[in-house]
Amino acid sequence: MSAALIEAKNLSKTFPGKGMFRKSRPVQAVRGIDVSVARAEAVGVVGESGSGKSTLGRLMLGLMPATAGSVTVDGRPLSDFTGSEWRRLRQRLQIVFQDPYGSLDPRRRIGSQIADGIRLHGRGEAGEQVTALLNRVGLEAAHAQRFPHEFSGGQRQRIGIARALSTAPDFLVADEPVSALDVSIQAQVIQLLADLRRDLGLAMLFISHDLPVVAQLCDRVIVMYLGRVMEEGPARPVFHRPVHPYTRALLSATPRLDAARRKERILLKGDPPSPADPPSGCVFRTRCQHAVEACAQAVPELAPFGGDGRRVACIRAAEIG
Amino acid sequence: MKRLLIPGTLVALILLAALAAPLLGLPDPVRQDIAHRLAGPMEGSPLGRDEFGRDVFSRLIWGARTSLGVAFASALIAGVIGTAFGLIGGWFRGLGELLTVRSMDVILCFPPVLLALLVVTLMGPGAGTLILVLSVLYLPGFARVTYAEVLSARSHDYVEAVRALGAPAPRILLRTVLPNVAGPVLVQLSLAVASAVVLESGLSFLGLGVVPPAPSWGLMIRGARATMEQAPMLLFWPCAVLTLTILAMNLLCDALRDAVDPRTGGTRSRLRARDRLLPGLLPAAKPAPDTVLAVRGLTVEIDTPRGPIRPVQDVSFDVRAGETLAIVGESGSGKSVTTTALMGLLPSVARIAAGEAWLGGTELLRLPEEGMRRLRGGAMSMVFQDPMSSLNPVHRTGDQVAEAILAHRPISRAEAWRQAEALFRRVGIADPERRMRAFPHEMSGGMKQRVMIAMALANRPKLLICDEPTTALDVTVQAQILDLLAELRRDTGTAIIFITHSLGVVAEIADRVAVMYAGQIVEQGSVAEVFQAPLHPYTRALLAAVPEGDTPPAGIPGIVPPPHAFPEGCRFAPRCAHARPKCSAGALPLEEAGPGRDVRCARWQELACRSEEVPA
Repeated sequence: MSAALIEAKNLSKTFPGKGMFRKSRPVQAVRGIDVSVARAEAVGVVGESGSGKSTLGRLMLGLMPATAGSVTVDGRPLSDFTGSEWRRLRQRLQIVFQDPYGSLDPRRRIGSQIADGIRLHGRGEAGEQVTALLNRVGLEAAHAQRFPHEFSGGQRQRIGIARALSTAPDFLVADEPVSALDVSIQAQVIQLLADLRRDLGLAMLFISHDLPVVAQLCDRVIVMYLGRVMEEGPARPVFHRPVHPYTRALLSATPRLDAARRKERILLKGDPPSPADPPSGCVFRTRCQHAVEACAQAVPELAPFGGDGRRVACIRAAEIG
Repeated sequence: MKRLLIPGTLVALILLAALAAPLLGLPDPVRQDIAHRLAGPMEGSPLGRDEFGRDVFSRLIWGARTSLGVAFASALIAGVIGTAFGLIGGWFRGLGELLTVRSMDVILCFPPVLLALLVVTLMGPGAGTLILVLSVLYLPGFARVTYAEVLSARSHDYVEAVRALGAPAPRILLRTVLPNVAGPVLVQLSLAVASAVVLESGLSFLGLGVVPPAPSWGLMIRGARATMEQAPMLLFWPCAVLTLTILAMNLLCDALRDAVDPRTGGTRSRLRARDRLLPGLLPAAKPAPDTVLAVRGLTVEIDTPRGPIRPVQDVSFDVRAGETLAIVGESGSGKSVTTTALMGLLPSVARIAAGEAWLGGTELLRLPEEGMRRLRGGAMSMVFQDPMSSLNPVHRTGDQVAEAILAHRPISRAEAWRQAEALFRRVGIADPERRMRAFPHEMSGGMKQRVMIAMALANRPKLLICDEPTTALDVTVQAQILDLLAELRRDTGTAIIFITHSLGVVAEIADRVAVMYAGQIVEQGSVAEVFQAPLHPYTRALLAAVPEGDTPPAGIPGIVPPPHAFPEGCRFAPRCAHARPKCSAGALPLEEAGPGRDVRCARWQELACRSEEVPA
């Protein structure tokens, strides 16, 4: 693999507890995660709510400070960039949001919102570039004069993508960009993201709770649970032959069309524990059917498994894999 | 814009009159004429003279200059400074918040009249002092309103997006945050101007404001009070203009708030009233004896400002005992409106234009509300999408389930509680005694949905309608709930209508499926048949759009048409790869394509033949 464009090492984020008199326990959203994304590579992050996947995306963009660990771009830590360098860096790192309704300013015409990225960084005359961007995401030049409420969810998501592209970024965090969309529209947007990646050489961190979607779009996938990585590796092998008990449960719980693919359902017991009060040792052990006493002792290391570049954080991976 | 016209004209007239006072050639408002003291209307004085013989009309107009000048100046000063404080405090938090917003709280601790007295004592009365006092008094209101709005605006994704674009803070505040908090600030402005006019009058009345003999509305009221019994009209005129001005200001600011919000633009042209289609008059087929619910030709109409729309048209289906029928469709397909109509829970703007629905021997669509109330939660019950907002947050969950039982059965509270406990156990809630005493916020989403299901099952319904019950849940929890529903149906024989947008969920849970598009059922049949060999091009396209891992999903071009722009004929035709001119010729019926299999497509037979030629 080529050198990483953006790399996170031992990244952690703890949100302090709330409350004035009796502080609630701090929430450990992300705990000691390593990620690297090479140019033109798409890395998927899969997990359920509370897994810390969105926090990871914000940390990688420098939109919130990390509690520990570092993020480097081209080998330089984010904290090195100051003043005008920071603003130039901002051009290179962009984000697409989940909610197509909340992510556009309802009071401004979309053309002006897309032009922001061009004007802010003095990238020349905005008008033509806005038209080009709109065409790039499958909309028309005339749409620039409209307000967000005049568009459907899928169209708004395209506008959000055009806005992110307005600074000509190298790296895009897509935070559940298709979760709020209808399935027929989902496929359009996934296709658009795949095209952009191919045509513009865009590196991507694709955050989703939907493993099949990630398998479609991404080269590699990271499976998160309660702030930690359970399994990571090449997307298709992980999708077709998951090793970690959590990845297996997640995949078997995903509703499938094809009855033959619907293997025996692994039904997890109970709900995910609160990120404010995670279990000791392996965070998944409380819902894992393979859990043994040793699982509670130490946090399992993310260790290489098999020959396909996969890493799994499970002490019983060899037994059950 | 039309809404701005009337209040705008009114305020403009008032302001114009005040501004143009020197040009109107009015009598001198301070020239006394004791001879005509308290005179009624007379030549040159249409409203008469006051207690010093001064012209009342002239004093009203000149008084408006003072009163409005003071009110506008103080409201604007307070508005500009207060909004700036609120923006800074809400955006930067920390020290900025302490200096701007928290410091304002000190002002709120002073009684306003006391503050005015203090300042007047120190600086002497007069219009300038009044402006100062009023600005200081209104400052905290603006700062707090803006502050609260900024706090909620800054959590929006679109603000974060502008940050990600690299915009500096002042630009974000002025271009993105300020326009989005402008609505409440404008309302606050209207309130401030209106109350400043009143307060000016009040303070002048007390002798703390404008100094006589300069005219102001407050001073006029003060003067008229002494001669109230001889000349009551002297009191009436300043009060009337005061009221009028305040009303006009409030109206204008409401209209302004709506006008600056692009979302409420009512300026678009009305859509021409669409040709009213006759409801499909189906032969009343006798439903099979084990049919729990039979719906025929259900059509819902909603009157909108753009004309009547029909979000649901000619929907017919049967649900048999112990069967799960999935209604699947994208947003805007009318699937939720269908079930809302069946439950008799349509909003008041919507009405049932045609069709019938038989639950056993009862026709639901024409049942009076009292009868529906007895059925709801009894013979038919519903589980909603969002368990967070469907449970009452201030009552214990056990009480809510017991209440559902008591609403339909004459049993004791203790007995209801005991049955509720059995239900909690039935829906797989561990430790029911403890969980029943928990409040909804103490439960996870999956647990709350179990409580909702327990409540729906409380009176052994014949029909359970589930409206996207798992959409808000994580997939591992969704799997648990789907399993629970399947198990309950097996054990109780309850018929289930399951609304979802996910074809995967349909494959998991349903026996039969009805595919809806743009308010109509386009295809229905057994899940196995429909998914193996879809007849309608929409069903086929929808199945191809599901990411299953190996083949890339194919999107459907275009968007679902909104209800006011449904195409003529086949509503899917504009997005369909197989569309021909005949597809748009006229309304299509739902044709029977086999036993228990219906399709609404002009070309389904041709297309079915063709797809058989292609090797699977």
